[in-house]
Formats: sequence, C-alpha cells, structure tokens
Amino acid sequence: MLGRWIRFFFAIAIGAAAGLAYGWLLAPTKQVNTQPENLRIDYRSDVVLMVAEAYHADHNLASAITRIALLGNAQPANTIQQAILFAERQGYSDIDLQMMHELLAAVEELTPLITTPVP
Amino acid sequence: MKQSRGSLYLLTGFILGLGLGLIYSLFIQPVNYTDIAPSMLDAAAKDRYRALIAIAYNADQDLVRARARLALLNDDDPFRALAEQAQRWLAEGKSEEEARALGLLAASLAQAQATILAPPTSNIPATLPVEAETSSLTATDTTVPPTPNSEGIVAPAEGVNPNPTPLINPSPSPQVTPTIALRLQLSKRESVCDPTRGQSLIQVYTWDANGAEVPGVELVINWQGGENHFFTGLKPEMGAGYADFSMTPGITYTLRLASGGEPVMNLSTPACTTSSGEKYWGNWVLEFSPP
Repeated sequence: MLGRWIRFFFAIAIGAAAGLAYGWLLAPTKQVNTQPENLRIDYRSDVVLMVAEAYHADHNLASAITRIALLGNAQPANTIQQAILFAERQGYSDIDLQMMHELLAAVEELTPLITTPVP
Repeated sequence: MKQSRGSLYLLTGFILGLGLGLIYSLFIQPVNYTDIAPSMLDAAAKDRYRALIAIAYNADQDLVRARARLALLNDDDPFRALAEQAQRWLAEGKSEEEARALGLLAASLAQAQATILAPPTSNIPATLPVEAETSSLTATDTTVPPTPNSEGIVAPAEGVNPNPTPLINPSPSPQVTPTIALRLQLSKRESVCDPTRGQSLIQVYTWDANGAEVPGVELVINWQGGENHFFTGLKPEMGAGYADFSMTPGITYTLRLASGGEPVMNLSTPACTTSSGEKYWGNWVLEFSPP
C-alpha cells in the first residue's frame, strides 16, 4: 500500500515537472513584465543615445528626463552613466559619446549624482 | 480490472501534477524576462519606443539609423505602424511634437521608398542618397541595437548576444530634404464628383518647385468645435505628397498649412448627382505648390 502512495506522488511529481517545463520553457505566458526597464543593456544604451540626440537638438532637459524615465525609476544620471560606460566599452562613435556626456552633464547639474564612497 | 485500476491512479497523479505545474508556471510564477529586446515590449511601450526613434530621427535626420532602430521592433510594416501611431496620437491629444516626429519619419520612409521604386525621370531630381543608405546596411539581422562604434561596427553586449552583428555605417547620414520649411500656397481648388468613392474627402496634394511631391507637410483642419492635424505622405499608395480628410456632410471646414499661409475656407461636402438623378457627396481637391 505504501509503495502505491509513493508511486502516486511520484506520478504527481512527474506531472508537475512536465507542467513547469511547459509553462516556463516551451510556452511561457505572454503575461510578463515587458517594460522598457527590462531592456538589455545595449538596447538601454541606445535609448539613452536617442534621448541624447534629441536633447542635443532641442536642449529640453525636462523632456529628456521624462524620456529617460522610460527606462525605470533609477536616477536618470545613473541610467545615463551606465549607458555611457557601456558605450565606451563598445566603442560608440565620438559624436555619440559626446552627446551622451552632454546629456549627463545637464542632468547632473540638476540632480547631482550620489556616489558611494569606496573604502 | 485490477491491473487497469493500478495504472489509473498513476495517470491521475500525473494529471494532477501537470495541472499544478501549469497553474504555477503560467499564473503564479510566470517567466519574468529580463534583458529583453525591443520586439518583446508590450504595445504601449513599443509606442513610446517608436516615438523616441522618431524624435531622435527628427534631431539627427539619420534615416539609416532610424530604420535600423525601427527594425528592432519587428513591426510587420514599420511605415504603417508609424503612420497609424501618428494619427492615433494626434487624435488622442498626446504630445504634438512626438506625433509630428512620427509623421515626419513615416513620410521620410515613404519618400525613400518612393525614390527607390520610382523609375529614373529627367525632371524630378533624386533627393535622397539612396546608395549610401542601402550600401551601409549590410546585414538584415535585427537582434542588436543599431548603435555603431567608431568603425561603424555594431557590437553586442558582452556575453549576452551571440547573434551575428550587422555592419552599420552611420556616416554619411542620408539627409531627407526638410519639407516643412518649404513655402507652399494653394494653387488649385476644385470640387470633384466621383460616384465610385464611398466617402466625401478633402484630398490634398503638395508639390515642390521641381514638380516632386512633398511628404511630411502638416495640415490643420478646423470646423466649428473641432480641429485635427494630418500629414502628407501617410498614404504612400496615393503619393508621397498626398493626404486626405474625411468630411461629414453639413459641416464646413477650413484648412491651412501648419507652417502658415492663407487658410482655405468654406470647404463643405459638394453635392453631386449621377446621370440617373441619384444624389451623392463629392470631394474637394486642393493642390499646394511654391508661389
């Protein structure tokens, strides 16, 4: 009788594993958090570059900050700085980097970046 | 019979487990994607991303880059997506600047497409350096963002994207002739009776001094208690300089160019009659060209 219960729970476990595999691997639900803040770093950097291009043309800092907020609630300066680090690592063109630095400088002037002291 | 009962309880257990697994993986703890591509964004986020592409294009006039960025969204028809969003945002009263940028980018895409498709003619100069645009985009993979490095090579993020990298050379940037600043005035106003048309339209055509159609011209239409903005070039099948507005019988409209100039007044649905005496509503055809 005990062996029967063990086999029963074993069957449940196999079924559960199959269900999880289906839901997580084979056909994950579309009901997921598909917001721009989850974009991969290279796409995030490109978003920052787009904002920087627009800012370079219109110098509208309010619009730029609103657009950066597309990437989440982190401090805009932090978001831009991460994008710049990535851009520098990946060798973006000087013009693109210049525009991103220009945007960073303007945003930092408004909201100074809080840096964690390194021991 | 006893043997059958023996396998049935195992099947019951499996089904029970399967159901629990599905409920958990699909509803309780669904897959949470991180490091996603723009094509995986939801519709509203895609709209915001598309608007940002248009705003950036408006700033740098780099159509190659804008196209590569649009490709990341995997729209079936990027032009249509832009045009529809521009119209929708105007109708919903969202940022006029962004709606205008969307319209301009759609018009630029239409113009570039028309330039590629049009046979060479002697009197219409090619305004787009199409060769630069097509030759600089050497791969069609759309899984990496179109931001090039100083050598014009797009590199994926470290360790996250093993896909082949397209080569995109950002310079020289193809420049679309700025059409908004062009001074245009009404050169033709005509009511047209066409019984084959199902609705009464104000049809606008815009031409430059060389006789080429002008896309991206913003038009403002007013009527008692209402106003709407629309752009030429959002219906490329009718021509890059074409736009139309559907009239409601009994309402009188005034149309003007957003860039200024004399308004075209008293536009109401013209009454037409077929040869058999049946009445229907006609269209207005308005043509604008440089003075």
